[in-house]
Amino acid sequence: MKNKLKQLFAAARNEAAPLPSPDFAAAVLHAVRREPAPPAAEASSLFDQLNLLFPRVVLAAATIIVLCVAADFGLTSANLPELGDGAAQVSSQWLFNPGDL
Amino acid sequence: MSDDAELLQRIRAGATDEFAELVRRHQSRVFAVLHRYERDPQRREDLAQETFLKAWRALAQFDGRAPFEHWISRIARRTALDHLRKEKRRNNEIGFAELGEDALDWLRTGDEKSELDARSAAEILGRAMRELSPADRVVITMQELEGCSIREIAAALGASGVAVRVRAMRARAKLKQALEILAEHEK
Repeated sequence: MKNKLKQLFAAARNEAAPLPSPDFAAAVLHAVRREPAPPAAEASSLFDQLNLLFPRVVLAAATIIVLCVAADFGLTSANLPELGDGAAQVSSQWLFNPGDL
Repeated sequence: MSDDAELLQRIRAGATDEFAELVRRHQSRVFAVLHRYERDPQRREDLAQETFLKAWRALAQFDGRAPFEHWISRIARRTALDHLRKEKRRNNEIGFAELGEDALDWLRTGDEKSELDARSAAEILGRAMRELSPADRVVITMQELEGCSIREIAAALGASGVAVRVRAMRARAKLKQALEILAEHEK
């Protein structure tokens, strides 16, 4: 039966493929017209990519601004020394005070 | 005649009617693939239409690195595999199919040198292959009838080479068994 199987494969390989009906392409096109349009190819330029990310970028930027304002407000309320205070202190301790020259 | 890349570009740009030209170019290949899995002309045509519709829906995913013919053949095989899975569930109760007299005579005879025509051979194989799982059937069809390499089959099915070899070996053993039963049954 092993040889019969080999013979079957060899003979079946030679079977001619059937031809589609003459109006096959038209039938496919008819079916395709009822389908929604295929999605466009993916955007490849940097601007296209940024445009695709636009809502997310806006959201991330707004979150960062809100966090910065909240942090500033919190630090001010806690009476922690500000950056300006530190600068004045350093200036007063400077070795060559401009007034001494 | 412009090549597939230009045609695809026009279709993507909105020239839907040009898809008919793409179908005309590749329909023979699709029918040749599907013919190995479905012998009924009406069902085969339905599967071919389904294949081209799937291609239309996934057109944006075709990157043009491989020829369009390879891509559409892969879609046709997947469509055939899905079809075989559905058929397997439906055909479980169906008994032995009617085979032509020539095919039966050849099967019954012990003479392994006698010739068999392609159509009868395909009929017998089609009947015997019903005993295989859909995936085994795709593997053995690709290997023995389409002449694909193990690597090509593995790539098409998303399986390892070892898995394909095991499936092919198992499929051959089952086919031999099915032919023996068929020969005994039809006596």
